Order: sequence, then C-alpha cells, then structure tokens
Amino acid sequence: MSLLHIQNLNVRFGAANAVPVVDDLCLTVDKGEVLAIVGESGSGKSVTMLALMGLIDPPGVVSASSLRFDGHDMLQLKPRQRRKIVGKDLAMVFQDPMTALNPSYTVGFQIEEVLRQHLNLRGKAARQRAIELLDRVEIPAAASRLNAYPHQLSGGMSQRVAIAMAIAGEPKLLIADEPTTALDVTIQAQIMALLLDLQRQQQMALILITHDLAVVAETAQRVCVMYAGQAVELGKVPELFDAPAHPYTEALLKAIPEHNLGVERLASLPGIVPGSYDRPSGCLLSPRCPYVQPRCHAERPELLASELGAVRCFFALNQTHQEPAL
Amino acid sequence: MTIVLTARDLTRHYQVSRGLFKGYATLRALNGVSFELEAGKTLAVVGESGCGKSTLARALTLIEQPTSGSLKIAGQEVTGASKTERQQLRRDVQMVFQSPYASLNPRQKIGDQLAEPLLINTPLSRAERREKVQLMMQQVGLRPEHYQRYPHMFSGGQRQRIALARAMMLQPKVLVADEPTSALDVSIQAQVLNLFMDLQAEFNTAYVFISHNLAVVRHVADQVLVMYLGQPVEMGPKELIYSRPLHPYTQALLSATPSIHPDPSKPKTQLHGELPNPLHPPTGCAFHQRCRHATPLCSQQTPLLRLLEARQVACHHAEQING
Repeated sequence: MSLLHIQNLNVRFGAANAVPVVDDLCLTVDKGEVLAIVGESGSGKSVTMLALMGLIDPPGVVSASSLRFDGHDMLQLKPRQRRKIVGKDLAMVFQDPMTALNPSYTVGFQIEEVLRQHLNLRGKAARQRAIELLDRVEIPAAASRLNAYPHQLSGGMSQRVAIAMAIAGEPKLLIADEPTTALDVTIQAQIMALLLDLQRQQQMALILITHDLAVVAETAQRVCVMYAGQAVELGKVPELFDAPAHPYTEALLKAIPEHNLGVERLASLPGIVPGSYDRPSGCLLSPRCPYVQPRCHAERPELLASELGAVRCFFALNQTHQEPAL
Repeated sequence: MTIVLTARDLTRHYQVSRGLFKGYATLRALNGVSFELEAGKTLAVVGESGCGKSTLARALTLIEQPTSGSLKIAGQEVTGASKTERQQLRRDVQMVFQSPYASLNPRQKIGDQLAEPLLINTPLSRAERREKVQLMMQQVGLRPEHYQRYPHMFSGGQRQRIALARAMMLQPKVLVADEPTSALDVSIQAQVLNLFMDLQAEFNTAYVFISHNLAVVRHVADQVLVMYLGQPVEMGPKELIYSRPLHPYTQALLSATPSIHPDPSKPKTQLHGELPNPLHPPTGCAFHQRCRHATPLCSQQTPLLRLLEARQVACHHAEQING
C-alpha cells in the first residue's frame, strides 16, 4: 500500500464545464520515496499539491475517485480531522520563504506554534525542541535565532526555518514546492542537500515540485512530467533522462543549455502552453509537437504503460517494441 | 575589432543610514571593476545576489553615476560628460530587465512603447516610426496585429521579446541584460536566448549579460566575469573559466550548479555559510571565511587581480590550489 494514492484527480475553478486545471491525474508515492513533479508554469503542479493539502478554496472544486494519504480519505475528512494531519504527517515547504513566514512573529514563536498544535509541547520543552529543530536544519547559533523576526534573516535562512517548521511534526510526506527557485545556486545546493539528508534519516517521502530538470536529475528517484494539467510521462530517474518517451519531455530536455554545448541555437519548442480558450481538441501538445500526426489532432491520448513507466502519447519515442500502427 | 565599452576601476559606494544621530556607513556595492568589451561579443557577469551585478548594470546604463573610475562608451568618456552628452550616450546603451511583467507600461500599447525611443531620440515622422516598429516586431517574432495590444495580453516569453525589441529600437552599441530569462520557463527561455543570439548576429551589438544561471551563461558568453561582494574574483574567456576555474569561488559556483547528468564520482565542493554583510566586509580576501583553502594571509591582505593562465584571478593561492 503506497503512502499517497491519487486517482483521477480533477481541479476546476468556476463553472462545472470549465477547463480543468488538473485533469485526471493519477499518482502514487511510496514511503521514503523522492518523486519530482516537473512542468512549466500553469501545468498544474502546485494546484495538485494544494488540492491534496485541502487548500483549494471556492470557486475551486476538487474531485477524485481516490485521494488517500496514509489510510485517510483526504476528500471525506472533516476540517477538524484534516487539521490534525496537515502540518504534522503531511507538510509543505513553499517557494518564497520571505512570504511563507509571518512577518509579525518571531521565528521561535512560529516553530513553537507547530509544536503546540501537533505535539502538545509547551513552555521550556517546546523551546528546547525548537532549538533542536533549528540545529537540525543547520542554522548557526540556533538558540539566539529564536528571537529573530523573519526580516532579520536572509532568504536561505528563512527557507531553513520554513523547513524546520515543516519537519517539526516528523511528517511522513513532505511536499517541497519549488523550494530553491528564489535562492542562489550555492544556497540551492545547501538546501537540496539538507532536504535529501532529512528525507533519508527520517524515512520521509518527498515530493519535489520544480521546473529545473537538473535538480530533478540530481535528487529524484521517479519523475512525473506535467503539461497543461495532465501527467504526460511518468518514469524513473535517470532512465527517463536518457530515453524520454514523450515528445514534450524530450523537448524540455533539449531546451536546456547544458545539452547544447557548442551549438549556436538552442533547440526550442515553438509556441506556448495552451490556455483555457485555445485548448486543442486532440492531444494537448499537438500544436507544438514536432512529431505530430493526423491522429494527434483528432483524438486525445490516454496515459498508458510504457517501458519506463507511463506515457500519454500515441507515438511514444524510444520504445523498443513499437505498437502496431493503426 | 572595435572596443565599444571600457570600464576602468569602476566603483559605486552607497551611503547607508545607520539610524538617527549615528551618521552613515559606506556600502561598497561595486569595488573596482575593469573590463573591455568588443562589438558583437558577450560579457557575462555571474555571482550570487548581493555581489554587485545589478549595480554594475545600473552604472553601465548611466542610470547611476559611478563613485569613481572611468567608463567609456564607444570611446567617449562618460564620467564628467555634460547633460546633453550623456543624453546622446544613453542611446548607445540600452537595457533589458529581469521581469517583463514590471518593465512594460501596462497602460500603453505595444506599438507606442516600441515607438517611444524613436519619438524621443530621432526626428522621424509618425509613419516612419511605425514602419520601423513593424520591422522590429517582425524581427523578434511578433505579429503585426500585436501593434495595438496591451502588455497584459502577452505571455511572459512574448513580453520579454517586446522588452528586447524596445531595447534594440535605436540599434544600441551595447545592450545590458539583467537576468533576462530567469522569470521564464525552460522551453521559453530557449526561444528568448535564441532571439538574443539572432539579434546580436544581425546588429553586431555587444551584450553585457548578467545572470546567476551558469548553464545559460555558458551558452551565451564569450567572456565571463565572476563577482563576489562587489569585487571581480575571476575574469577570462568562457572556455577557460568553465574547463579549468582557478578561483575557489568559481569552482564552488560551478560545482553547486546542478547537472542533468550528475556525476556521482565527482564530489560536490559545498560552500558553507552565506554572503557576508557588505556593510562589514571581512578584512583581506572577501571570500576567505567561506574558502576551504584560506590561510592567515587571506584574512590580512586583499588579493589583487593578476594574470594567470590567460585569465585574471584574484586569489593568493591560485597556483597552489590548482597545482
């Protein structure tokens, strides 16, 4: 039984016939696994995780045939029960550490609040545990930092505090939503090393949402590539990077400057991600796909098993056994 | 081979208030940067936030006066130039900013925004301006009907095209681009970088390309300038800097950059700590507190840029480290 089981997750904003922001997403995460979700802005990566955390407010509508985390049906939970799980067993680190922390409270207060709510620690015990947590995320002089306000900390330090708050309840699943996008490359390396270290030591599952494929290559065990709200490819790292099955994955990889050493022009995918008003009737990538066939414009492909995992394409690349052409 | 931009010991210091009755502290945002840039070439400036990259951009584009040092654009000295001369010089240096969401006027049509540099700086008639704008729009991959649209109708990548088109309207000799693709997705980033390269080939413009993404820099740059806390630590041709970085900071930056094909056998040299407070910079080498090769000499004496293996490097122990 996997830790997280998402089946046919749909998230819409507004009318029932509105274009789904997340479209029939299926995803599983096992205990202690590192899964990366990659995709361009607007592909539905963050909304998926917000739906899981129960953070989608009306007019957003979340529906799924199954959204189970650690044996709980997250859609059926009452708010009071949900609050017991979210923040403790299921925690999240957000992109911008400067806005994730409350500017009017000290760092110590904010960490102790988590300990008070979820572990029922108070007074000296809470303070002691907060110092341990700050030590754990490698903040120097932890005890003196407890009285600091967020504006007194740098971006990297704030992100460490946010991580300390997230791991305070020893979560089974930590969701990191672009945890290093706002940070410098040297600090990014430090934060990623810290997250992986925590993940290994606490046997915690980690979902890493990012658009940086190089970060994925260095950290994740499995990856889910999303495009316009759909999962287009699931696969293992590093196999997927060597032989991507979906044309979109291939295009993303080709667009990286690192793959274009000594070349004048970068390979680039023409056009942009379709919005809600210009959604193609067939495959969502069909207007931009270099391998497009007539069938792609007419039908929408399903997510089917491939050699490395799953792929949503009629004409998947790098498959040794070609499906018979129709 | 014409040198279009020459900086000599460019410095920019800010007076920062320390509080009531306490007087001012000096923040050395830019501390002695020198380089030369040829037409049609790209100088990339890399470093962490707070290293003075953007201050350099503001000095080069004449948005701010340097505190000392000299800056020559197309052979003409900028410091001490009169107001009218400076106005003339500004036509030759244009800038593309990081966020295309903030750099375009939301209330002005694209066509008018692109025509504005011509309206201010040239005696062209309305029809001539329009013609030039249409031509430039075509060159950056915008359609003629986009002329009448407003910025909110465009995606991030298209907006950056518009910002680039606006900067190129006067065909400047130097284009300063401050993190032009860091707000864009990777596939859009590739489109915009290609456009940068195309326009450079077309107009023979010199680029100063500021970025913290070393993979992008590797693609666009001819020369690389690595900065740390307002000071240049290493400068040289791209191939040399990437294949054999000599300064420990450059080495750490390159090592920290994630790779799509990670090499597990190559241990990461992780950099501990963060950029020191620029109001209280460390004595000696600014990097010595985070450097694993630091010796007592590093905390006493500031290393100067010197020539070593065909590039400039500011490190006391560059030879020993790189054996």
